[in-house]
Amino acid sequence: MGRSLLIVSVISGAVNVARLLFSLFLIYVTLGWNVRKAKRAFEKELIKQGMPKEDARRMSAKYAALKDEALNTLKRSVRIFP
Amino acid sequence: MSERPEKKKTGVRDAEEIKQILGVVSTEIPGLIKSIIASVFSEEAGKSMGKAAAAFYKELKDGGMPDAVAVKMTEDYIGVFTSLGDILKKTGGGGKLQFGVGKGEHGEHGVTAEVSEEVERRVKQRLAERRREEDEDEEEED
Repeated sequence: MGRSLLIVSVISGAVNVARLLFSLFLIYVTLGWNVRKAKRAFEKELIKQGMPKEDARRMSAKYAALKDEALNTLKRSVRIFP
Repeated sequence: MSERPEKKKTGVRDAEEIKQILGVVSTEIPGLIKSIIASVFSEEAGKSMGKAAAAFYKELKDGGMPDAVAVKMTEDYIGVFTSLGDILKKTGGGGKLQFGVGKGEHGEHGVTAEVSEEVERRVKQRLAERRREEDEDEEEED
């Protein structure tokens, strides 16, 4: 009785971990798409107010670079707890 | 002899608890991360940030600022948002926020050393007061 309960608990725990990892992977994959969309909307607003296209593009690149910074920070924090 | 079944029982209970914790974590954590990301990287967030920067740029231009200067200032304004990454870097680098660490006005260890000294002093003071009270109570009992 106890052993079977333990096995069920371990299996469902593993399923939950797999689900968590899959969700995180999905978030990571869709992050690039979200950033592109946000960048485009940002750029559009700047151009609408009369900013030159080149400058608007440079600024939106700065905004998109925030994603890389956030990911690098995350990677570094993971490295702290090996 | 009777310890073994009890150990087994607690092991099963622990596994059950871990299963429940993992169940909650696997549903809550992705939602939390998703909402945090959406607050910075979504079409709406980009649009509102762009609107803010564009309004800033427009005000500068209307005020008669040269184009190059207006662009530079707007870039700095956006830099305020992006410098959040630097803050994250600082907090992530040491694992905790550090106040005034380094050789400066407050010595080698900075503010943290001063605070810890003050805490130590107060704790010692409290302990001494308590000891004195206990001694007085004992004397009264005698």
